[in-house]
Amino acid sequence: MKISKQARRDARQLFRACMVREALDENRVRQAVGAVVQQKPRGYIAILSHFQRLIRLEVARRGARIESAEPLPPQTQAQIQADLARQYGPGLSFVFVQNPALIGGVRVQVGGDVYNGSVQGRLAALEQAF
Amino acid sequence: MSTLLQDIEAQISGLKTSVTRQNVGTVREIGDGVARIEGLSNAMLNEMLDFGNGIVGLALNLEETEVGAIILGEYTGIKEGQEVRTTGKLLQVPVGKPLLGRVVNALGEPCDGKGPIVTQTFYPVEKIAPGIIKRKPVSQPVQTGIMAVDAMIPIGRGQRELIIGDRSTGKTTIGMDTIISQARLNRAAEAAKDTSYRPLYCIYVAVGQKQSNVARVLAVLEEAGAMPYTIIVDASASDSATNQYLAPFAGCAMGEWFMDNGMDALIIYDDLSKHAVAYRQVSLVLKRPSGREAYPGDVFYLHSRLLERSARVGEKFGNGSLTGLPIIETQAGDVSAYIPTNVISITDGQIYLETDLFYQGIRPAISVGLSVSRVGSAAQVKAMKQVAGRVKLDLAQFRELAAFAQFGSDLDPKTQGQLERGKRIVEVFKQPQYNPMPVEVQVAALWTVQNGLMDDVAVDKIKDFQGKLTEYLTSRKAALMGKIHNEKALSEGLIADLKAAVSEFKQTYK
Repeated sequence: MKISKQARRDARQLFRACMVREALDENRVRQAVGAVVQQKPRGYIAILSHFQRLIRLEVARRGARIESAEPLPPQTQAQIQADLARQYGPGLSFVFVQNPALIGGVRVQVGGDVYNGSVQGRLAALEQAF
Repeated sequence: MSTLLQDIEAQISGLKTSVTRQNVGTVREIGDGVARIEGLSNAMLNEMLDFGNGIVGLALNLEETEVGAIILGEYTGIKEGQEVRTTGKLLQVPVGKPLLGRVVNALGEPCDGKGPIVTQTFYPVEKIAPGIIKRKPVSQPVQTGIMAVDAMIPIGRGQRELIIGDRSTGKTTIGMDTIISQARLNRAAEAAKDTSYRPLYCIYVAVGQKQSNVARVLAVLEEAGAMPYTIIVDASASDSATNQYLAPFAGCAMGEWFMDNGMDALIIYDDLSKHAVAYRQVSLVLKRPSGREAYPGDVFYLHSRLLERSARVGEKFGNGSLTGLPIIETQAGDVSAYIPTNVISITDGQIYLETDLFYQGIRPAISVGLSVSRVGSAAQVKAMKQVAGRVKLDLAQFRELAAFAQFGSDLDPKTQGQLERGKRIVEVFKQPQYNPMPVEVQVAALWTVQNGLMDDVAVDKIKDFQGKLTEYLTSRKAALMGKIHNEKALSEGLIADLKAAVSEFKQTYK
């Protein structure tokens, strides 16, 4: 749908209001959405649409996805979480996924950064080098 | 074979040690050669992005939530949701002497079917122009072989001279004549093993041209034997706007290699009007705000950063030069339109071609009044300075008096004499295309007309007279021509010899 400049501005304002100390506050987000749905200001669907996109991007930015070929033991999981929290700060959300296609090793994606230590990744890099 | 094994081992061990960090994003929207990518938080401006399958793009728009990138190559295979990676590299093109004689596209890939280009050096397409300290004043001439240009609007090595005119007025022809003239001079110096002569290599960038035109240019250059000293960069009309936008920068990078390595190069951008149009298309699809005539706000910067890279640099900074000959096509002779005024203010002079003159038979159709070279006689050899010093003034006076020519015999003898001399000078400056003249022949012809030795020849026989005089001097008086070429100045002795030779010729001329 076509989102007007005003709707974008309003959505961005709403988004900034939901940010508390550089992190997204879930309660505030729910409150904001509830309020918009109830009061239905002009162009509320466009505002909500753009707001949803901004939330989605922020969640993706602060989301860590750890893929491994086999399930990782809890100790390793905790270690990875601690390392990432140290590097990226608190407030990350972690998702552990099993992906047999990796053959071995771990692929970590935090927002836009990808650390690919899997065998599949190294094979791809080798292929690229030739 | 043994080095191959060592190389593979080194590469495998290199991979074992580090887990590299990559920055990825996903394509949100793709169309018209432009992709909008979400994520990609570390993308930098003009960085190369890898779309997979060998497709690369350039990040041009860095926005709050996404990156706008232009795709180099075939963009129809890219899908929404596809992963995009940053490469941390700038766009680079191959440069060096292996490119001479080849036709390449905007990315430096060969498209003449003569095999891959083997070169070790790559230069970035976008580079900051040489600063003030690095530059040296322009003092060496570019002998275009076109008498009107070399006498009245001389071009120096390291200068930017704009060629501006309507369609079909001979703009590309001036560029091609220059290339052919340089090839002849290069070849003559090679044959004579003259180490003091610096060869001038040429780069012809075709932006948005018809492919038949580029094919014709290639055929003419091959026939004239100019291809071994020329690179053709082709981004024709059927190429994407991205390729047309990048081609002049790629050509400039190739020219900069020559400049940085103690050699001289000449680059012809044919033409920058179509380059501005391609940039406008790219900017509008990237949703950048448009300004006057729908061009983006930085269209001046587009051309200024391109043309500022043509310079002459000092000994410690490369000791070379890159001469720029941008071409601009005007509509109905309007030089006060947006893009022409922009480029006129950037270049060191212009050669203005008029349709009226063209149809009157004055070819090259150079308007002497409106054309200027801001480097001027610093870029002329002494011999040419001696004969051509007054010619511009004489022609200006002739043009003023031309209105009175209608009165015919009602004029005083002095005015009559100026009119007759002016008509003969105009005739002498006419030149067929792809026929560059060496500087000594130009000097001889100009000296002859300036000293009244053509006053008794009818105006319509002047070209015939000049042709036969040239033939006479190059065949029978080759030694005299050689002396003028080597000494580059007309001493008293040479003038006397020249006078004797011309008088001798006139006796046999009918």
